[in-house]
Amino acid sequence: MTHPATFGELLEQHEREIFAYALRLVGDRDDADDVYQDTFLAAFRAWPPPRRGHERAWLYKIATNKAIDRGRRAKRFVRLGDLPLAAPERDGVSLADLATAVKALPTGQRAAFVLRKVQGLSYAEVSVALECSEDAARSRVAEAMKKVKEAMR
Amino acid sequence: MSELDVVVAGARERLVRRARREGLETVGYRVVDSPLGPLWVAVGPRGLLNIHYGAEPSPLELRRIVRAYGPGVLPDARRVDDVARELDQYWSGKRRDFDITVDLSPLTPFQQKVLAVTARVPYGQLITYAKVAHNAGNDRAYRAAAGAIGDNPIPIVVPCHRVVASDGTLGGYAGGLDAKRRLLQLERGAVPPGGWPPAHMSRT
Repeated sequence: MTHPATFGELLEQHEREIFAYALRLVGDRDDADDVYQDTFLAAFRAWPPPRRGHERAWLYKIATNKAIDRGRRAKRFVRLGDLPLAAPERDGVSLADLATAVKALPTGQRAAFVLRKVQGLSYAEVSVALECSEDAARSRVAEAMKKVKEAMR
Repeated sequence: MSELDVVVAGARERLVRRARREGLETVGYRVVDSPLGPLWVAVGPRGLLNIHYGAEPSPLELRRIVRAYGPGVLPDARRVDDVARELDQYWSGKRRDFDITVDLSPLTPFQQKVLAVTARVPYGQLITYAKVAHNAGNDRAYRAAAGAIGDNPIPIVVPCHRVVASDGTLGGYAGGLDAKRRLLQLERGAVPPGGWPPAHMSRT
């Protein structure tokens, strides 16, 4: 993937995954749209990305913060119609069950889980996105995995 | 197109509208279909900046645009509507002159001069590279003029396809010689093998 030289390139390279990530975090299509808008407008205003080659983790960091901001302001819920969009595509388990289990996680663990297990970021990228150490990212994902597995038994 | 693609497309439209309102968008682009394949078209605050043969921008052109107008280059179908409409009319033979404003300001003064001469060649007429150099005020800068024409960021609208070699052969074309042949065919009928004899060249 090339380093984006313009807002358009950044947008075209990452908008789909950022929207899907927002949807997985906030669970509602309208809220996800807001997170997507806030994320990219903030990225455009803050241009250029702080580190070349880390644009993706940078966007996830902004999106995570925007989603958490929204979560503080609004009570979260998942619309049934949005579940197929919000749920991961790669897993064999029931999408609705998994989405419910993920939704029940505390925000930090939920973000770490979705970034690593659904969006496919490396632990290094997760740590940038969540502004924590790689070890902390690993333990948050592990903790989240444990809870999700328990919830799905 | 998946459901997510549709949802994201709607979100993108709203985002670009907001970016435009906030002055974050300086240049809008979109890919326009044409009989010569997809064209990447960019419009800036002073007019049409770039038509590139293909669905992706040329890295060189994009760098030039970013140097002139910053990184606020966003996919924005609406900003390209007028250009797309005039191009459609041109392809269907209903338009001979373009009314859209072109922006050559990111280019050097010499390139601008050469392309301004090129832009004045009427529909269906031909001019030689040497004549363009002469009209741009420098007979000896023949090769530099040919270079500027080859580097034309706004083909079709700035009609560099009307510039041919002094012996009447087609010379070169950034979109490929086949594209040049088809543009000339649209404007003046089939291209004879070996090009047009020098008598067909514009004398002005």
